[in-house]
Amino acid sequence: MQVFNAYMKVLKKKLPVAMIYVIVFLTIAFPMSRAGANSDKFEATKLDICIFDEDNTPESKALCDLIVKDNDIVELENDKDVITDALYYESADYVLIINKGYAEKLAEGDTEEIFGSYHLHDSYSIVYVEQFLNEYTSAVKAYLAGGLDLDEAVKSAGEAVSVEAEVNYESFDEDNSSADFPKAFSFYFQYMPYILLSVMISALCPILLTMGRKDIRYRTNCSSVRPSSYTMQILAGSALFVIALWLIFAAAGAVLYGGMYQGKGWYAVLNSFIFSLVAASIAVLVASFSPSDRIVSLITQVVGLGMSFLCGIFVPMSMLGEGVLAAGRFLPAYWYIKANNMLAGSEPYDGSKLMQYMLIEAAFAVVLAILSLVVNRVKYTGGLKAKGAAKAAA
Amino acid sequence: MFLHNLKYELKSSIRAKDLIFWLMIFPVVLGTFFKIAFDGIYEKTTKFNTIPVAVVEVQKNPVFNSVAETLEEGDTPFLKAEYTDRKKALELLENEKVEGIIYLDEKLSLSVAEEGIEETMLKAFVEEYTAEEKIITDAVKNDPMKAQAVIDAFSQEVDVCKEIPLTQGNPDNLIQYFYNLIAMVGIYGTITGLHITINKQANLSALGARNNCSPTPKSVGLCASLIGSFMVQAVCMIICVTYLAFVLRIDFGDRLPPVYLAAIIGGMMGVSLGFMVGSIGRMSVDAKVGISMAVSMTLCFLSGLMVGDMKAVVASKIPWFNNINPVAVMSDSFYCLNIYSDYRRFLTKIATLLIMTAVFSVLGFIFSRRKKYASL
Repeated sequence: MQVFNAYMKVLKKKLPVAMIYVIVFLTIAFPMSRAGANSDKFEATKLDICIFDEDNTPESKALCDLIVKDNDIVELENDKDVITDALYYESADYVLIINKGYAEKLAEGDTEEIFGSYHLHDSYSIVYVEQFLNEYTSAVKAYLAGGLDLDEAVKSAGEAVSVEAEVNYESFDEDNSSADFPKAFSFYFQYMPYILLSVMISALCPILLTMGRKDIRYRTNCSSVRPSSYTMQILAGSALFVIALWLIFAAAGAVLYGGMYQGKGWYAVLNSFIFSLVAASIAVLVASFSPSDRIVSLITQVVGLGMSFLCGIFVPMSMLGEGVLAAGRFLPAYWYIKANNMLAGSEPYDGSKLMQYMLIEAAFAVVLAILSLVVNRVKYTGGLKAKGAAKAAA
Repeated sequence: MFLHNLKYELKSSIRAKDLIFWLMIFPVVLGTFFKIAFDGIYEKTTKFNTIPVAVVEVQKNPVFNSVAETLEEGDTPFLKAEYTDRKKALELLENEKVEGIIYLDEKLSLSVAEEGIEETMLKAFVEEYTAEEKIITDAVKNDPMKAQAVIDAFSQEVDVCKEIPLTQGNPDNLIQYFYNLIAMVGIYGTITGLHITINKQANLSALGARNNCSPTPKSVGLCASLIGSFMVQAVCMIICVTYLAFVLRIDFGDRLPPVYLAAIIGGMMGVSLGFMVGSIGRMSVDAKVGISMAVSMTLCFLSGLMVGDMKAVVASKIPWFNNINPVAVMSDSFYCLNIYSDYRRFLTKIATLLIMTAVFSVLGFIFSRRKKYASL
């Protein structure tokens, strides 16, 4: 137990670093993955619109009221810089100016450029609002042409364009199993690989490096502890760390989930366990090259951020380009996210495919573990052989 | 003596591995990841793209067909309609090949699989079509004489809205991640700045002890170190901006030289901040590094390095803070260069950075004065 005890002592020293990652992750993940209520009714997207009504007539007010009904209004200072900032940072989606003389021109049926809008780019909001304005003014003109006066025409057009269309929500989730793993909650598991990788490499790696340091290693080698027992104790220590870390995340997830996991939720937990093993074996492999502290922090950043950006952890897979995804395939996090996406309902659920994804992930863990064994073997025996050869030559 | 000190400051900087890693390699790696991940998101999400939709004709509706046809014209048409049967349409919807299904029956109806701006626009389209149809049929029923005038009202091509362009720059707001990345390198100048005090304070390093017992006046030594660090930091900033602008081809607008200028001044601000933090008290090196990293990362977070719209959130809650957060001031200066055609706002930001640099440096000198060591 000597080795195991020593391992625990080192672990205790490295724990604060690991805990910083864990605490930061949980404080960020909790509000982000708040379980949103899944409703069956279609809710239209509301835009944030700013209106400058320069005409200020009953007609222009009628239009404002109509826009307010389906959208949110933001108040902005009528200053070009303020407006540019608001559009750029998306605190407003559309800035509309109802030009002076709107009512008069509308009454004459001349609708050319009766509005103005500040334009930053051809966004969805621009197309959406402009189409609405077009339709509304055409409707007013049509009623005017039909013989109504302006008042009535505005009123009738308002009524005509506010008739709600029937929208059906198509759900492809026959047995309603998505309730077991809601999309909002799936983000918690989506971000987990980043934190697992960061914690494992930044905490597990230094522990293994300390244990493998020359003086400690030589002291152990000349003791009566058998090498196999040594390896087993190191393994037990690492396993304890990995499992404890995973349990913290799984338990925190359960709190977020609001009780024990159910159905698909369990698959996600299993998936995260497999990834913990992958992350641990990456840390072991890194440690087997005995890098310096500085290199460990570099590797933590590069591996953690790299996989997160390439495999759809930070940016959803649907947003990534073909090339990125093709490269991502060679990384374990890609398969983790594939499985997680399927569980969250982003792609049709297929049990055997899910198993396949998780097996590929597990295979990564196995291959990485074998690789680190090989590296260790070459490092020790290779080093000895080289020494022997040097002696022989001498 | 000044030049001698400057020379050695520069020489030792080249050998500081921390510096090379955090100020040169890390930004390059992070920038590359940003580029890989964010490439094309703007085109896919913010910029309008034709909305694919499946149309199921439960009964024939030639009027709808002709309306849809006109909407399919142009460079970026509103719709791309695919006429198909119910089963195929559902399949397309499930595989996210279309955003919605429009059923042509007595009345138009819409089926969608998720909520979003595209779905909302389809809903609006169905509503507008229905309204138009109703107005025309009512007109035909009530007063056939005027029916043609009513139909004309809808078929006139009028540009009701005059678009007032705001900028010639690049409106893609994801590039603010790159602005913040450069600002991060700038604020990481605190590490460079810390090295000044580590090498000058006797309780922090052997070199510091050696420097303290040399006959060079402290002010001369510190000045040489500070200027040397400014130069090293400037090189780091130039590498970062060059990599982003020429290797990753990030569009900073059409004025690149001022971008370099702002980056270099931002780097100087970072160095002086580190110099000041390092000069406070007699804490250990680890404590000082810890404090400056924690402060820098918090400032970066509040400026939107990790979450893009953080700056807008801060602007709405505590607007004055963006004017004194050095990271935000730096990233804003790049934004101003890109978006605004005049230099007014850009110059305000640059002036703010210069004032910060001066204040931090002066405070650093004041804090470093009169530190004597009876024993170590």
